[in-house]
Amino acid sequence: MAGVMLRRICTRHLVVLVLSLPVVAAAAPEQGKPRVNPNAATIKEFLKRVDAYVALHKKLEGALPALPKEATPQQIDVHERALGKLMQEARKDAKPGDILFPAMQRLVRTLLRPIFRGKDGLQIKNEILDNEYKGNVKLVVNGRYPDEVPVSTMPPQVLMALPKLPEELEYRFIQRDMILFDPHAHIIADFMERAFN
Amino acid sequence: MSHRRLTPWATAGVLAALACLSAAAARQQPQVPLPNKPDTLHFAVIGDNGNGEKPEYDIGQQMLNWYNRFQFPFVVMMGDNIYGADRPQDFVKKFEAPYKGLLDKGVKFYASLGNHDSREQRYYKLFNMEGKLYYSFKAPKEDVRFFALESSYMDPDQITWIEDELKKSNEKWKIVYFHHPLYSSAGTHGSQLKLRAVLEPLFIQYNVSLVLSGHDHTYERIKPQNGIQYFVEGSSGQLRSGDLRRGSPLTAFGTDTDQTFMLMEVDGDNLTFNTINREGTVIDSGVIARRKKNP
Repeated sequence: MAGVMLRRICTRHLVVLVLSLPVVAAAAPEQGKPRVNPNAATIKEFLKRVDAYVALHKKLEGALPALPKEATPQQIDVHERALGKLMQEARKDAKPGDILFPAMQRLVRTLLRPIFRGKDGLQIKNEILDNEYKGNVKLVVNGRYPDEVPVSTMPPQVLMALPKLPEELEYRFIQRDMILFDPHAHIIADFMERAFN
Repeated sequence: MSHRRLTPWATAGVLAALACLSAAAARQQPQVPLPNKPDTLHFAVIGDNGNGEKPEYDIGQQMLNWYNRFQFPFVVMMGDNIYGADRPQDFVKKFEAPYKGLLDKGVKFYASLGNHDSREQRYYKLFNMEGKLYYSFKAPKEDVRFFALESSYMDPDQITWIEDELKKSNEKWKIVYFHHPLYSSAGTHGSQLKLRAVLEPLFIQYNVSLVLSGHDHTYERIKPQNGIQYFVEGSSGQLRSGDLRRGSPLTAFGTDTDQTFMLMEVDGDNLTFNTINREGTVIDSGVIARRKKNP
C-alpha cells in the first residue's frame, strides 16, 4: 500500500539516491572521470545546515525546563517564547539563504516544478494557496511566525518531493514563498522567495 | 452583463429566507432520536470552534444543556481550536470559558490541529494530545478506536503511522478525524483531492467506517463514498453563510445558516448521530452501520 511504498522511498539517503539517478545517467560515464552528482551534493549540504540548526535548537531547548506533555497554556507560552528568544540571540547574524542557500533554492524549484505541472499540479497549488489570510507578510529570518497567518497546507505530494526534515523544522508556504518553520520556537528559521510560479 | 449588489437589508433577507428553508427542510426529515442507552458509547463532535465569539459560547451552552440529558464523556475536535493569538488568555477565552460547564463535569476533549492552530497546542493538557501531532485512542466503551491526524502536514512518516495503526487496530469501529475534508461542497475550500488520493485508499483497505473533518465553516453530511460516511463539522464557532454549494452531488444534507455541533452514540454495529444548532434544535439525524470487513 501507499504507506509501505512511502516507507521505502522516504529516507534521506534514498531521496539523495533517487535525485541523483537522472544526473548520473545524464553524466554518463566518460571513462576515467569521477561521476559528478550536483543534486546529491546540494542536498547533503542542505541537510548539514539543517542538522546544525537542529543541534543548536536541541542544545538551547535542553537548557530550558522541559515542557510536560500535559502543559498549561502558561507553560507552553513561556517555553515557546523563551526558546524563540534563545534561538534569535544565538542566530543574531542569520540571514536569508543561510540554510536554504542559493543552490538549494534552485533545487527546490526544480523538484517542485513537476509537482505543480498540469491539472494535478494546479490542484496542489490551489490547496497550498487556499488560505483565508490575504494580507502581506514580511518574512524575516528569526522572526516570530505571525499569529494571524494560518499555516499553509502541505500536500503529501510536495512533502514527498523534498528532503525529509527532522521534527524541529517544517516546510511551509506563505503564498508562493517557502519557509523553514521552527514550530517549537514558533519562528521562521529561513525562507526562499518564489518557490513556485 | 451587469450585476447589482445586494443591500445589507436584502442580504439579511436572503440569509433569513435560507435559514427558514433550511429549518423547514430539517423539520421535514423524520428525526432519529439518540437511543441514549447507559452502556453505549456517547461522544460529541465540534470543529472550527475556537474564535472566542458569542456563537461559540452559545454552542458550548447548548452542549451543556444536552449533556444533562445525554451524557458524553468526551468531545472530538476537528481543529482550529484557537484562532489567532494563542497566549494563555486566549486559551481561556476561546476554549476554557465556552466549555467551562463541560470541563467542570469532567468531559475530556481530544483535539486535532487545524491550519489556524499553533503546533504547540499538542502539549496543552486539556486537548489530551500528549505532545503528539497525531495519535489514536481506544474509546472507553464499545469496540471503537479513534485516530486523530494532522492534515496540514501529511508527511511520509504520518502516512506510514496511520497505515500501521489502522492495520493493527482490531476494533470493529475505526473513526478517523482531522481538519481538512476529503469531501466538501463548500465554495471556500471544498474537497482536498490530493489528501484524498493518499488517505482514502487506506481508509477503504483498513475498514474505516466514519471520517470527520472541519475546515469549511459549514455542516455537511456527505453521501457515503466507497462505503465510508464522511461529515464536515466546521461550524461550531465559525460560520460561512451561503458557502455551501446548493445541489452538490456530494451532499446528503447540509447547512450553512447556523453554528452546529454533533452528538453520536455507538451501539454495537450502529452509530446514531444528531446535529444540533445554537437553539438546541436537531437539524439532522440518522443511523450509520459500521463497515464490515472487506472481502
